[in-house]
Amino acid sequence: MNSVDSLTGFLNRFGCFHTAMRLAAEATVNHQTFAVIWLDLDRFKQINESFGHLIGDEVIENIATRLRPCVFGRAEISRVGGDEFVLLAPGCNRERAFEFAAELARIVQEPLNIGRLTLRPTASIGVAIHEPNEDPLTLLERADHAMFAAKSQGGNTIVCSGDEPIPGRLGISLAREELSIESTLHEALESGGFCLHYQPIIRANGQVEAVEALMRCKFEGETISPMKFIPVAEKTGLIIRLGEFSLLQGAMHARALQDAGHETKVAINVSRAQLISPEFTRALHAALVCSNVSPKLIELELTESLFMDISDTVQQNLKEIIATGVSLSIDDFGTGYSCLASLKDIPAGKLKLDRAFVTVLPEDRRALSVVNAVTQLGHELGMTIVAEGCENQQQIDVLLEAGVDAIQGFFYAKPMPDSELLPWLKARSNNN
Amino acid sequence: MNQHTSSPTPVDQMVEKAVLDLGIPPCPAILDRFMVEARKDEPDYHRLASIICSDVSLSASLIKTANSPYFGARQRVRSVNEALVILGLNTASRAVAGIILRKSFPTVPNMERFWDASSRFARLSGWLAQQLDTLALPPEDAYTFGLFRDCGIPVLLRRLPSYESVLQSANKEVELDFTQVEDAVLPTNHAMVGCVLAQSWWLPEELCLAIRHHHNHGVLATTTSPPPLLSRKLIATTQLAEHLVQQQLGLSLTQEWGKLGETCLNLLDLDEERLGALAVEAAPIISANE
Repeated sequence: MNSVDSLTGFLNRFGCFHTAMRLAAEATVNHQTFAVIWLDLDRFKQINESFGHLIGDEVIENIATRLRPCVFGRAEISRVGGDEFVLLAPGCNRERAFEFAAELARIVQEPLNIGRLTLRPTASIGVAIHEPNEDPLTLLERADHAMFAAKSQGGNTIVCSGDEPIPGRLGISLAREELSIESTLHEALESGGFCLHYQPIIRANGQVEAVEALMRCKFEGETISPMKFIPVAEKTGLIIRLGEFSLLQGAMHARALQDAGHETKVAINVSRAQLISPEFTRALHAALVCSNVSPKLIELELTESLFMDISDTVQQNLKEIIATGVSLSIDDFGTGYSCLASLKDIPAGKLKLDRAFVTVLPEDRRALSVVNAVTQLGHELGMTIVAEGCENQQQIDVLLEAGVDAIQGFFYAKPMPDSELLPWLKARSNNN
Repeated sequence: MNQHTSSPTPVDQMVEKAVLDLGIPPCPAILDRFMVEARKDEPDYHRLASIICSDVSLSASLIKTANSPYFGARQRVRSVNEALVILGLNTASRAVAGIILRKSFPTVPNMERFWDASSRFARLSGWLAQQLDTLALPPEDAYTFGLFRDCGIPVLLRRLPSYESVLQSANKEVELDFTQVEDAVLPTNHAMVGCVLAQSWWLPEELCLAIRHHHNHGVLATTTSPPPLLSRKLIATTQLAEHLVQQQLGLSLTQEWGKLGETCLNLLDLDEERLGALAVEAAPIISANE
């Protein structure tokens, strides 16, 4: 059976396992030990999905080229998965294995030029030391588990087997944290701890294109980050309740702005859980009826998770949304699950470029090329292009030069409570 | 109460805005009764509270105001009585008197039946929850649900000109769920509108879900999926209240008991004999004016 990985020339999974068996046998006979270092590149999936597999392969080849001289003579290296490398280092105790892993982490972190794009890869590394008479499969599993623990800590870190939570504890502690957040969310729901903040989106001519309604949660004086509570709300189904709350509150606020003389579109985030429900359009209509707002002042931002699977119900809902006069935008475009097919399948009038392309500007020429190309493509489809996460004037300059129609980011305004939005809009229209 | 001279307080403004946002006018007869009491030299605030409690628009607006961040209550209120405790009877009564004097409420035609029914259903539901103590259903919750169950109807009457005829068809429908008749011709239904409104007042989830599903026979009969049992008990109790009111007043305005009655009796664990006795005991509650 072939034991070599064709892309890197390293051992493959089969070769890795055979080498581990050999080293385990030798270690037992010689009363020595050896280390397994399991290295997994962080966010490689994102690179693959954003830039395609050819670029992904280029990244792997490049990393392999760097690792080769460092590993030579010290360890057997194999590539056991798309972005996973396993090093088997004879004679390595725990301390030396950790130093070796740290050296590998530094090598991986060097900036990596792929064409005009500059990436700064990081790795999650798990280390396990062979115990006397331990079977190689268990040893490899321990190293894999340690790597997973490193990944769960946010990546770019090294965990030695035995230092991570004992087997099973990791899942339990994560589950506990989620349960704790879930319980807080329920209490926040009971005590009205949710509200919407609004972040303006500014057109190239300085006018306000729309404001995005963003959910905020505060409980017992402590603000809970949306990065933490949204995933838990999505998992537990609470997102539907929060989504319906956003629909009505956002629509009511659009109406209040309209009554105050500011016809400003309010963009409301809609989750996958809402859109796969046949009840969704009834809830949307209920919000429109209750607020009595013109549908043209409401926009629904579709999150990337929707694009995993656009079912018939979702298609039907999208059609019905468009029929109401409410507009659609595609959020976080260019990362995660979003793909070109979404442009074909979703009748959206607006496309919001993910901040990942914006924060690296103006230095990252390759990201700028992507911005240019997507903007041109979006315009061909008659779409308005918005760039998210814009924080300085240089970024605005290059984005506007690329043809982006509107900008959202801290440079113009942070998300603000509803009570501050109207004064902000008034001040801005006075200044213009 | 010298509402004429004082300028509106933040609470007055919040209650007024809540009434306007809600889009459901308060019942004129209730407003009259309120003003008769409020204009007395020494108004009875408990009587004023009981008058407010019988009106959907005033109750909803006071609950919404009490649940606003302005008051920062640790727990949200789930009934108008709790809202009155948070706001203070005096403050709440002044706010209500203010909006009556300023006539700041929307107009909706054909509201009489809604005003009459909602206050009767609320009162009788609260009473039933007390009588059927094995249900362990808080009477305040039953009252709140009875009052708000159909609050989507006046909103739709106000916004959609065709709604009145849809409502008539749905009232006559003997097989399909009430909301199925609405869904066949409208983009939404009164149960969904009511639920979305109740959510925006931060009413408890069980109450919101009960409003959302109160015509859904499939949901009512199930025991394995949401909504929670409390929601199903609320639905059954107010459906029984509606049935008793219609029976006693000789009206048969809806066909809901024929579709949902058996399931409701099962949920409430009632047999025909007990039902008959309840109907007799309920008679004075049903015929009371407030």
